[in-house]
Formats: sequence, structure tokens, C-alpha cells
Amino acid sequence: MSRRAVLILILVTLLLYAVPGRRWYSSMDQEPLTFAFRLPSSQSDRGLPQMTEEFINRDPGSATVHVGSICEMTGGRLVACWYGGTREGARDTAVYLALRDPGKRSSWSEPRVVADRDSASRELRRYVKKVGNPLVFADSQNRLWLIYVTIAVGGWSGSSLNVKVSHDGGRSWTPSTRLTLSPLVNVSELVKNNPVQMSDGSLAVPIYHECLGKFPEILWINAEGGCFRFRKTRLAGGKSFIQPSMVVRDPRNAAAFFRSCSDERAVGMATTTDAGTTWSEPQHLELPNPDAAINALPLSGGGRVLLAFNDSPRGRENLQLALSSDGGVTWQRVARIEEGKGAEFSYPYMIRGSDRRIHLVYTWRRKRIKHVVFNEEWINSKLQGASQ
Amino acid sequence: MITFAFSFLFPFLVSLLVVQSVAKNVKKAPQGWRLTPILALISGILALLPVGGLPLARWLIGMNANFSFPLLAIAFNKAWENATGSRVLDHNASMASWIFGLAVGLALYPMALGLGGFDPYGLGWGLSWLFAFLAMATIVLLLMKNRFAVVLIACILGYDLHLLESANLWDYLVDPFFVFLSFGALSNRLIGLLRKVLSDRKGMDGIGQETASTG
Repeated sequence: MSRRAVLILILVTLLLYAVPGRRWYSSMDQEPLTFAFRLPSSQSDRGLPQMTEEFINRDPGSATVHVGSICEMTGGRLVACWYGGTREGARDTAVYLALRDPGKRSSWSEPRVVADRDSASRELRRYVKKVGNPLVFADSQNRLWLIYVTIAVGGWSGSSLNVKVSHDGGRSWTPSTRLTLSPLVNVSELVKNNPVQMSDGSLAVPIYHECLGKFPEILWINAEGGCFRFRKTRLAGGKSFIQPSMVVRDPRNAAAFFRSCSDERAVGMATTTDAGTTWSEPQHLELPNPDAAINALPLSGGGRVLLAFNDSPRGRENLQLALSSDGGVTWQRVARIEEGKGAEFSYPYMIRGSDRRIHLVYTWRRKRIKHVVFNEEWINSKLQGASQ
Repeated sequence: MITFAFSFLFPFLVSLLVVQSVAKNVKKAPQGWRLTPILALISGILALLPVGGLPLARWLIGMNANFSFPLLAIAFNKAWENATGSRVLDHNASMASWIFGLAVGLALYPMALGLGGFDPYGLGWGLSWLFAFLAMATIVLLLMKNRFAVVLIACILGYDLHLLESANLWDYLVDPFFVFLSFGALSNRLIGLLRKVLSDRKGMDGIGQETASTG
């Protein structure tokens, strides 16, 4: 290389690094990111206790269903999704979606497939062995998002995340976009639990890594002009906690609750005071956890948190609700939603509807996705009953 | 679209290396200005060949969509060497690439896969000290007139143009295959060096003993 060539190449280098530098400089004008926090209404104390339950899908016979999630769109339409197939991780698994319009006479629509290995392979233009773990949610612009797992090689540790968006309430979807989130050939990234809306319109989606290490992460994602801008940050390292469930207390403070995959079979918890940028070291709580998914939801009354979990260090034979009045430090068991020897009730997912009712969906005996609806009065009545 | 088109480059180079290797095995050196375009054409057809509804190249991309630029450069260098007999990456550039691959791999993978609370992968999403370090490394290598600097310039160019599926700079710098290759190449060099030192010492001892017995 001549001296002149070296000088030209140094100049080129500096110019090329100026591109990300300029992007960083323009981002300095933006307001610091905070949670788009909305305190749950406390007016619910005036109603009567209510609790209803129904199944979203029909009995699939010998097939299996798992990992349900639910969201509400503007106007009160509920959208639920899950995956189903002949068995967990089978090649014929597909992501199903069902809708339920508001109104007492309304019922869940017939489930339809929104993603399977053929559609994923076609849209991503690569080999897909199977699909799995989906998450559906609506953003502040009433767009529906679907994040789901695809696997090319191996089991769940070979998972990669993909995203689709619907602008018409789930009738049509954008083609799947692959999210590159891991340096290890982009595998071992999975999703579970409710996203949190941020002040700039972006979303903080709880994800986790499950390969050599097992740890919780946050996917920060935004959709602008048909493009997804995203990055991820870590909640904790190691191999003890996965599947974070975030509960926002105010624009900067939140708690995250974790599924435990360590020998200490107890629910984990960490907190943030800077809107999710940094997190405290996770601690085990007094609640047991049999290496199974949990889900947390903020309630009205400042610091009240509802947790759905399997109340056992060994199995998923029951599904329990517990309430914390101090942001998640101490807990009181409220109600047992399901119990059955040898049965499985797992992967709970809760949202609060615009009518203040709480919607809980979960895997029911691996056959159906069950939808339980209750209000805070029902929780309060159960709490009073437990304390008497 | 540019990302999709670019994804065919690494599978094409792999295909070209395989075709060149086959040409070598049929007792014909894969060199010459006539043969090289033919082999490249065959490789291109192979990469685009539809198998099960997908071009063959996209099957490889299904396993890993982000082959790093240094790995691309190594594959290109090997294909160029097979075709012309000369190397794009000379000895110094190759050594720099192996050392870079191993060092960057060790800096990234253990922590990115869960060792400790810090995730170095997060530094690749936007301007961070990783960018500053890389710019410095590029300039130092340029001043040393090491050709690997051009590969590092290609990394940041690729990142700016979003040529890979990834939006993270680390994926432009390193991938597991490049790290294994670097480890293998450096181990090979180290073993060769140790053998040479040992054989030199044996030789010296032999001369010493001979001198002692004749003295």
C-alpha cells in the first residue's frame, strides 16, 4: 500500500464511522425513554365480584396446544393466539389466532392459522423445520403484533424470533421479518409475557435466551414505515432465570418476575429505577416455581401486583393466583384457578381490559386454551375469604 | 432487497471453493482466465439451484444468515488464490485476521452467552466504544500497511449499508465459524512453531554432542 492509498483509506474509514456517529448525535436530542405508564383505575371497587370461564378452542383430539397470549384492541375486540400441533415441537405445529368481539352474546371465532412452517419458510425465504411460542399484542396505534419462534435445527434452543404486524385487526399480516438477536448464529431467543409500551411509541418486549446460559432480556422494538428498528438488553446473566414478566409502577420504576430454572425452585424478581435500562440482581421470592412460566399484572391501589403461577416446586398440576400489596416483595395466595392430579395447567398470561376486567388465558391439560375473566372485586372477595 | 441479494455471496464463494476443489481432484488446476469464469458460472448456478422450493444458497442462510465479513474475505482469498495463484490477504493480513477472530470471539461469546451480567453484544446496536476501538484498530493496521484493514473497512461499510440481516456490528465482525477457523489456524501455527523450536533444539544438541565427542 502506498502512502497516498493509506491516507485515502484512513479518510474513508473516518467517513464510514461518521454514519453511526451522526445517528447517535441526532438521537441525543430525544427525551430519555420512560414507560408509558397508566395507573390502573381504582373505580372497580364499586362492582360486584365476577368470574367467568370458557375455552377458546375446541378439543383438538390427540393434538396438543400451548403458550396462549391475549390482547385487547381499541373497541374491545379480544385477540388470542397460541400454537398447536400433534405434539410439542412437532413439524406440523402452527400458530393459531382467534377473535372475540365485545358483547355478552359474542363468542370466540373459529381459530385460524397465522403462521406455520410453510408460510414462515416462504416469507423468510429459508428452511424452517417448525414454528412455536407466539405472542400477540396491540400497540398504541391499534396495530396487532405477532412475535413467534421458528426453528431450523434442533429443539427450543435453536429458536429464532420473527415478527408480523397487522393493520386491520388480524385479517391480513405483513410477511414475517427475522429478528437477529443473538451472535451465536441467531439462535436461542424466545418470547413470553406482556410487552410494555414506552414513551416514544416503541415497545419493550420480554424475551429470554436459552442455550448455554439461561437469562432474561428485553427486546426494544419499533415499527416505522414498514421497517423494524430493534435492539436488546439484558436483565440478568447466568443460568437461573428466564421468561421475565414486567410490572410497571411509574414512568421509571418497574419490577420483573422470573421463571426459575435453577435448583432453587422459587419465583425470581428484579427491579429497575431507570425505565428498564439497568436492573437489580434477581432475588428468589417465597413463592415456589417448578421451572414453569409465570405472569404478573399490576392492579389498582398502588403497588398491588397479581401473579399467576404454578404453586409447587415440582409440577404444573395447579394454577394459582397470588397478590402482593408491596410491589412483589411479599405475597398472599388469593385463589386456586385449577387443580388436577397428573394434569397440566401452565403458561398463564393476563391482561386488563378497557372495562377493567382481567383476562387470564392458559394451557389447559395441553388440550385447550382456557379464558378466565374476573374483576378486582372477585380478587378482593377471595382475599377477604382467605384472611377470615 | 440489497440484503437478500448479498446473502447469496457467501454460499456462492463456498460453492466456488467446492467446485475448484473438485476441479483440482480431476487433475486440473482450477486456474486460468478461461476456466475461472466457467467454474464461477457453475458455482452461481449451484447457489441459485432450486431445491425444495428454495435456492440452495438460502438453505445455507437458513442455518446462519450472518456470515461475517472476515469469513467472506477468507473465502474470497482462498477462491482467488485457487483461481490466480496469488493471494489477496498476504501472510501478515492472514495472521491479523486469525488473531482478530480469536480475540474478538473471546471478547464476545462467553459473556454474550450468559457469563456475567454484562452483554457485549449490546455494544453493537449503535455507536459505542466498540466502534471507537474498531476505527482505531483499522487506522493502526492501515499505518502498518496491513491489508486486513481493508476487511475491517468492509465491515463498517457493510454495517452502514445493512448488507447482512443483522443490525448489530458484531455480526459483521465475527461469527462462530470464523472463530473456530481462527483458533484452528493459530493452533496450527503454534504447533508448527513449537515443532520447529524443538527440532532446532535437537539439532543444536546434536551439534553440541558431536562437538563434545570430537573435542
